[in-house]
Amino acid sequence: MSSCGNPAVEAEALMSRRLKFDKSRSCVKCKTNVGNIVIRHAVYCKDCFTPLQTTKFKRSLEPSINPASASTSGPRRTKLKATGNLLIGFSGGLGSTVLLDLVSRCYISSNETVENVDGNSKPRGGTKHPRNQSVWMEARACYVEMCGAFPESGMRDRTDEVRKAVERYNGFEFVSLRIEDAFDSRWWASVGGRDQIRERDLGVDLSDEELLLSSLQHSSDSSPLAALQKYLSSLPTTTATQSSLTALTRLLLLYTALATSSSHLLLGTTLTGLSIGLISGVAMGGGFVVREEAGEEWEPRISGLAGEERRIKVVRPLQDMGMKECAAWVWWNGLEVVGKENVVGVKQGIGGLTKDFIVGLERDYPSTVSTIARTCAKLAPKDAAVERCVMCERPAQRGVQDWKARISIRSFNSPESEMSIPLPPHIQSAIPPPSHPHHSSFSPSLTPLLCYGCHTTLTSRSSRGTALQSKNLSKSLTDVIAPLPVWVSSRLLDSVVNPGGEMRDDLGGDAWQSKKMDVKEMRDAVKDFLLED
Amino acid sequence: MSTLLLSLKIEFSGGLELLFSNQRSHRVQIPSIVPIDNSTSPSAAVPASDISMDLPTSPQSTDTGKTKAADITYLMYYLRDHLLKERVELFMEGGTVRPGILVLINDTDWELEGEGEYILKDRDEVVFISTLHGG
Repeated sequence: MSSCGNPAVEAEALMSRRLKFDKSRSCVKCKTNVGNIVIRHAVYCKDCFTPLQTTKFKRSLEPSINPASASTSGPRRTKLKATGNLLIGFSGGLGSTVLLDLVSRCYISSNETVENVDGNSKPRGGTKHPRNQSVWMEARACYVEMCGAFPESGMRDRTDEVRKAVERYNGFEFVSLRIEDAFDSRWWASVGGRDQIRERDLGVDLSDEELLLSSLQHSSDSSPLAALQKYLSSLPTTTATQSSLTALTRLLLLYTALATSSSHLLLGTTLTGLSIGLISGVAMGGGFVVREEAGEEWEPRISGLAGEERRIKVVRPLQDMGMKECAAWVWWNGLEVVGKENVVGVKQGIGGLTKDFIVGLERDYPSTVSTIARTCAKLAPKDAAVERCVMCERPAQRGVQDWKARISIRSFNSPESEMSIPLPPHIQSAIPPPSHPHHSSFSPSLTPLLCYGCHTTLTSRSSRGTALQSKNLSKSLTDVIAPLPVWVSSRLLDSVVNPGGEMRDDLGGDAWQSKKMDVKEMRDAVKDFLLED
Repeated sequence: MSTLLLSLKIEFSGGLELLFSNQRSHRVQIPSIVPIDNSTSPSAAVPASDISMDLPTSPQSTDTGKTKAADITYLMYYLRDHLLKERVELFMEGGTVRPGILVLINDTDWELEGEGEYILKDRDEVVFISTLHGG
């Protein structure tokens, strides 16, 4: 029986390779020049590429510059004026290099003047051009040095290189932070926090899903760097380490924005990076805050240095520019990218795997990446947020622990793995707890104050087991108490430890306590609803 | 008659230069006719009879099917075998450049030039830019 196909052709038949651009090689904008770059199937020449990207950048940023009340009245363009200063999160990577360049070109006065016919000079673009009007009174670029988080990788300190990259532009003040500042009470005091001595006293037991709080045992090496490394080494997975570093960096930038009276924090997240962040964020349990991943308005719990209340808009103005466009911008404008060092183990985490997937997707199906971002922009949580997570300070749902206890698939483990993977709470409660040197009979728990994503980050263990877990097995119980970032400690001391604190109000004014009931008690509680045999 | 060797200017940027002796700009010379399997080892040298004839204008016009006009794909193999110092997986994957590397040929996106099938010409400038060097 023969095949229906054409035997002469079928053996050699190959699908013809589809062109990466739609029509001709001419620029789709000016229609005269031969194109130089393909952006999501459309061809642009170099001359049209620059204004196209500048327009995309401004279109993403400018609607958020003016306060909401001002942007609805009158022509926006002539009244572009922010309520505070500007802070740019500058990592030295591709996106933030492009961001700094675009902000400098479009909004920071470079004191360039042009000569009039009568010999007088005037600012380039006219006095009303946004570049000459100081949209923000002051502009800063803030860099967070990460080398302290990876002492074993030999990562070098890049602060000086990044400082030089920022100093190439006029009008930006360089702000240098270190990732260990998240555990530094002096830094916390410098951004307006309080209780710089007490805040290091609280720690959390990350080996227990309840995340019981207890006092930290002070050792000889209680530096912020040691605290950071202890915190990171207590985390259960590589994914958790990466996710925590991202969260710490975000909060360091936000509190620095607060301390510098900034109304806007700009991040150099590209369209590709945003799609990676959205997908990996959802995969790590951050679906409730998927909107905040693209852009958020953060209200600090502490007031500004001057005491005034303010909100900080976190904007990602490159969210319409892919990594390819950014790379072309850097090359054609002769910019230097300081870059980051690769860290061993990052690729095995959810973030690294998602990045590999999205970057591959962008090469083969360039339009799909923007579809991810556009689709996520349409998502909204079903319920309004009633509280904020103490760790990431993003909106949190109420009752996530009850829901998690109902839907999570859990299993018993062999006795030797019990230390690494905690038993579920309802089983743990039936087992007499081991005597713990730091936990009192009624230790407060961090768990109800966390969002789903942060709780999952701190407690979810890999079913395959990791080096971290085996390392933790050998630790004594006193060693598993991890320090907490300064904003978490401060918040806890303000509320949980002080019973009258506002945290109770955040939780809805209800005090819930779990209590194990025996069968008789349970039967008595439901006896009115039982049907007789 | 055409040249036997093509002189090319190669540039690496966006952190890719770290894989190539931390040197951004390189000048290389490659034969204009190369093995069709992209082998760059001396044992796979192109027969003298092939490279002494007039250069074909397209790969289809190569005589025996064992050789072809030097293209970007061959150049990538050449760079991998002769200039790359470490971690080949960060430069090539599946016979082409790793996703996330932008290639410009004479300042034009290689997607407009036929990607790996672009036939190299003497004094061409090829730029490899990594987009994965931080964000």
